[in-house]
Amino acid sequence: MPSMPSRMDSDLFVTGCGVLSAVGQGKDAFLTALLAGDHAFGVMERPGRNNGTAFLGAELSVLDMPERFPRKLLRTVGLSGRAALLTLHEAWEEARLSDADPLRIGLVVGGSNVQQRELVLKHESYQGRLDYLPPTYGLSFMDSDLCGLCSEQFGIRGLACTVGGASASGQVAVIEAVRLVRSGEADICIAVGALTDLSYWELQALRSLGAMGSDRFADEPALACRPFDERRDGFIFGEACGAVVVERRATAAERGVEPYAKLAGWAMTLDGNRNPDPSESGEARAIERALTQAQLTAQQIDYVNPHGSGSGVGDPVELAAIRGCGLDRAAINATKSITGHGLGAAGTVEVVATLLQMKASRLHPTRNLEQPLDPEMNWVRDKAVAQAIEHALTLSVGFGGVNTALCLSATET
Amino acid sequence: MTEQRHAEIFALVRSNIYEVLPDVEGREIKSDDRLTDLGANSVDRAEIVMLAMEALSLHIQRVELSGVKNVGELVDALYAKSHGQ
Repeated sequence: MPSMPSRMDSDLFVTGCGVLSAVGQGKDAFLTALLAGDHAFGVMERPGRNNGTAFLGAELSVLDMPERFPRKLLRTVGLSGRAALLTLHEAWEEARLSDADPLRIGLVVGGSNVQQRELVLKHESYQGRLDYLPPTYGLSFMDSDLCGLCSEQFGIRGLACTVGGASASGQVAVIEAVRLVRSGEADICIAVGALTDLSYWELQALRSLGAMGSDRFADEPALACRPFDERRDGFIFGEACGAVVVERRATAAERGVEPYAKLAGWAMTLDGNRNPDPSESGEARAIERALTQAQLTAQQIDYVNPHGSGSGVGDPVELAAIRGCGLDRAAINATKSITGHGLGAAGTVEVVATLLQMKASRLHPTRNLEQPLDPEMNWVRDKAVAQAIEHALTLSVGFGGVNTALCLSATET
Repeated sequence: MTEQRHAEIFALVRSNIYEVLPDVEGREIKSDDRLTDLGANSVDRAEIVMLAMEALSLHIQRVELSGVKNVGELVDALYAKSHGQ
């Protein structure tokens, strides 16, 4: 006999989201840009991104901070902090969290060492005059400063922490938020995939490691980011930040909030590997576990939002895992072809991209997919397509053998 | 004490207060104003002092300023230090 939803329901939903990317700030602009297949790639120009170098990437335009954030605060808040405040603001308003009990709200920030560029600028500026280093550096050098900023500004009083899983951090944060609500430690938990603000040091190392492109398209930034294409030569960085609100249907209903989708299944697996190398079996295990938890078969998945970074080794391994799990019927595109790779933010931003596409019943194109690695897959290539999505799967992969999968299901209306 | 130098340091501290606490910008700052009353928390107070020290190229241990109660006493301490007292 069906029962009324209650606080003890195990089913969890996303009830609000926020997003920032170089192609669009806020959900409406972001979805429009995704469906149009826009891009904002070029030689990055932010201070601290160059040191005789010219790295390609996508940088945010100026952030328009709402008046709720005091000027006194913003003076000492860097790009990652501003992005977190702004995306949380969008998600918070949508989920009407001002009407929720702040003692029962939690926050999980995904990402590690997210403010490297700001730190490099500080180090360079105060080299040789250390006595005058601004005291706020003692706060801002820690990732958990984002928890402090957000909890102070939104009055969150439940619990907050940061979690890391390299490029899967954003999805690890969503999974941790799910766990905290499931366990009863919070009624509502917000996951923020933090803007990973790279300096030229990290960019250089990611190039040296062979992870980041682009030697091949150095003079053609629009062509450089090409996940799953034969001529890809690594990921292209893109500044981004995402936020999603996780809770049970009953708590959302108390505030009159309709969910986006159900968080039907999730999984995190390890390859036992410190390196960047991906593992087909590890990725497949994450997919299978998420499907099992969601009580779905691969054939029921309508859409896969893959990690798809443009990595030389990672892309074919991911496709092999997807095919091996029987997901070749599902439509597939690559959000990073449009946004670039947001690293710590990517997993959350791609959950938002998936939710927005489900709501719009449209799938965005994949930029620069001229010669797909696997032409038999059900690619969304040059143009957006209309497609009803009942069940979607979004995947993330991180250095250190981290694989995550998250299954999202449309809610019954 | 040259009054002009003292007034310059007061003006400097006032501009540092305005920078750290933009909400009081343009407001008259008096010697007996307390930074806390102007809206400064402990980090803001440390930032204001640091900006003043940097502008004056002073090296002052935090403990030397622990007894400072208001803007006037902060200016006095900075003035004394900048004159080697």
